[in-house]
Amino acid sequence: MSLLDVRDLALRFGAVTAFEGVSFDVRRGELFAVIGPNGAGKSSLFNALSRVYEPASGSVQLDGRDYLRLRPHQLAATGVARSFQNLGIFPHLTALENVLVGRHHLMRCGVLRDGLGLGRREERQHREAALDALAFVGLERCAGTEVQLLPYGLRKRVEVARCLAMEPRLMLLDEPVAGMNAAERAEIAELVGRLRTERDLTVLLVEHDMGMVMQVADRILVLDFGVPIALGTPAEIQADERVIRAYLGEAPEATRTEVRA
Amino acid sequence: MTEFLQLLFQGVSLGATYALVALGFAVVYRSSGVINFAQGAMLLLGAYATSWLAVDVGLAFGLAVLVAMVALALAGAGLHAVVLRRVTGQPTFVLVMITIGAGIAVTSGVEAAFGPDRRLLGDPWGSSSFEVGGVTINSVKAWGIAVTTVALAAYFAFDRYTRWGLAMQATAADEEATLSVGVPVRLVHAGTWAMAGGLATLGGLFLAGFPGAPQPTLGDAALRAFPAIVLGGLGSPVGAVVGGVLIGVTEVLTSGYAPDSLGTNFSAVAPYVAMIAILLVRPYGLFGVRPAERI
Amino acid sequence: MRGRAVLVAVVLAALVLPFQLGTSALTTATFVVIAAIGATGLNVLTGYAGQISLGHAFFLAVGAYTGAKLGADAGWSAALWIPAAGVVAGVCGALVGPVALRLTGLYLAIVTLALVFIGQHVFFNVESLTGGPQGRSFAPVVLGPFDFSAGQVLRVGSLEIDHNGLYYYLALALLAAATAFAWNVRRTRSGRAMVAVRERELAATVIGVDVRRVKIAAFTASAFLAGVSGALYASYLSFAQPGEWSLLLSIQFVAAVIVGGMGTVAGPLLGSAVVFALPTVLKNLPLVPDEAAGGVSVSDLSSIAYGLLIVAFLVLEPRGLVGLVHKPKEAHS
Repeated sequence: MSLLDVRDLALRFGAVTAFEGVSFDVRRGELFAVIGPNGAGKSSLFNALSRVYEPASGSVQLDGRDYLRLRPHQLAATGVARSFQNLGIFPHLTALENVLVGRHHLMRCGVLRDGLGLGRREERQHREAALDALAFVGLERCAGTEVQLLPYGLRKRVEVARCLAMEPRLMLLDEPVAGMNAAERAEIAELVGRLRTERDLTVLLVEHDMGMVMQVADRILVLDFGVPIALGTPAEIQADERVIRAYLGEAPEATRTEVRA
Repeated sequence: MTEFLQLLFQGVSLGATYALVALGFAVVYRSSGVINFAQGAMLLLGAYATSWLAVDVGLAFGLAVLVAMVALALAGAGLHAVVLRRVTGQPTFVLVMITIGAGIAVTSGVEAAFGPDRRLLGDPWGSSSFEVGGVTINSVKAWGIAVTTVALAAYFAFDRYTRWGLAMQATAADEEATLSVGVPVRLVHAGTWAMAGGLATLGGLFLAGFPGAPQPTLGDAALRAFPAIVLGGLGSPVGAVVGGVLIGVTEVLTSGYAPDSLGTNFSAVAPYVAMIAILLVRPYGLFGVRPAERI
Repeated sequence: MRGRAVLVAVVLAALVLPFQLGTSALTTATFVVIAAIGATGLNVLTGYAGQISLGHAFFLAVGAYTGAKLGADAGWSAALWIPAAGVVAGVCGALVGPVALRLTGLYLAIVTLALVFIGQHVFFNVESLTGGPQGRSFAPVVLGPFDFSAGQVLRVGSLEIDHNGLYYYLALALLAAATAFAWNVRRTRSGRAMVAVRERELAATVIGVDVRRVKIAAFTASAFLAGVSGALYASYLSFAQPGEWSLLLSIQFVAAVIVGGMGTVAGPLLGSAVVFALPTVLKNLPLVPDEAAGGVSVSDLSSIAYGLLIVAFLVLEPRGLVGLVHKPKEAHS
């Protein structure tokens, strides 16, 4: 049962084609990854899917409904949560407050009721949900710390917690391990894996790091120069000639020829 | 008809002055993203400096103007070096407020130093004028238009045809990249501010010309250049010029033709009303561009 | 624990202040507290939501003239015209809010600047409301049996409170309410949303924050408090001309918020104390020759000081006076 259905999507910037002919579907409860070498068009695809860019052609359906008519501010209400590569967290809010902003679209109080102190019960309920999300990513201890004081890896986790707190159907993760060392990457990989298993979420992630993707993804789409070149399970992708060539160039063939000679 | 032409001429000459101020502003914004709310104060300072040098110190007027321009250029570069460089990267709000603060300090400082009364500008034109087809042309204003045109042409030539102009554009587009190719970005910034200071002096000088005079309310008059800046679109030199002339003409024509129902002295707020009207339709001004946001 | 003790100490000190100060100092203190109400509003708009506004003087004026129309002209009780002043000003704020949506930082700054000038133009010309350039008188606060007019004295046991003290306590009560309101906002959904909009507007949008609503809410709340502050201010002054509601007044409020510490609880009061007591302090400094003696006018000196204070704090300590005292929340392990 596919949650997200992408057909023949293309994005152009003037005369430059970011990507075209992209078709894939993301099944419910699946962890789907989009990978590719630098400049492959993954980020552009991601931004098109998070409604920041407008595709030139093609269609996207979320649960059977036209997804492309959505504007960025409608994503949360539709059940789509996205993380940001350049960190979309709010530096001067605490970790808990950051996650609580994720609950914003689920809460009702306006400034008048808030100021008069009438929203206490709602606030308490959502605080619990936010703490729960923080606990899931292992950061309950940091709830009261301003995130600008947290190291990069922890900030990334706060952002995942916030996405989780939004109670989405579909989570879009933008290069979640970018700029991390091996230990941090392993932690995030484990976290992302648990999102799928423990919370039954559907996740689409765009990533550069092959190792992490092979470990957590159910299926993978590989882009190269804006064109999809392979779609399949990690095992299928790893064995795929075109993928190997895309990442490593012509070298494997040449080496084999040399050895024979 | 002659009355209309008369007002039109005055509007264009006022507009030319606003264009100078607005240009100084656009130049700084383009190269460093800083909104210089102190531009009006610099204008005031320029007019007073010229006046002081010409009248109190006794320099020849042309020399006084040049010295004032240099002094203002140094002041502009100084503001950048001492204050603004230390807050790069901070949110726009902070940069705006700092220039507002600097502007207030300077405007009040000038009034404190020179007192609230009108001064003599010390210019050679005074109240002299000549007639063209029934329209009285003040010499000061005529010179104002001429000098403004030359200054604007010089700026556009500089921007388009010289290396420094290119350096300024590059710095505006991508400071880090420009730095990495060996352009002395600090110097470029200093140069930009120096230009703003110089342009402010010229603007202030003509704004203070007959029938005006160097007086503290000049600061308020300078504030009316802001609608020009906004109307034209921040960071667009062409917009600055168009905006300046539009605002000047609007202001003068309203003073001549506005009905009484709009209140006395409506021309003083007409620029602001015009600005709001245009912003409602085009939120980034006539020539402004929506700034790109990084995701 | 320590915070609570400080709070109690401050409240006690504030309560006994009128009995410790002479009339002149009490007058200044009263103006400071009245201004702090307005500064609290601006703190919500600028400190929380990050919106630049040079238009605060306009909303103060709206509050003042609303109070005048309902209080002095129509004879309403202060219990009505003070809140009404806030409401009318708040509505004006709500109308400016949508304008802020389409305009980024500096455009907004200049448009709010325009608001002050256009407002003053209107005030100078609508004589029936404002008395024109000559100005008009404003009614003293009358709350039931309590008359705040000059010369009135309230006796409580052996204590005597004159009209300055009465205004002081009223302003203090309103400031406490305003501060509680602002503090509540910061700790809840709307406050978090404002900070989110200030820090990363695009991210906030994508997460589900209705940026439009947030900005309108911020402008409305800010204008409401400015209206209350303005109405009380004019009433205490008892007479004001349209020239009062100038760009300089707006800038004083901005300076107060910056100097005090943007987005903090104590900031508005601390900043108001510095900014609005400054002219009095300068006047009494023996070093400065006064205007009559050919020296510098107090108003010029004050303005220079405001400008320098704004620059100094933003460059050296952007977190204001509160920042000088506190460090940011440390990581608790």
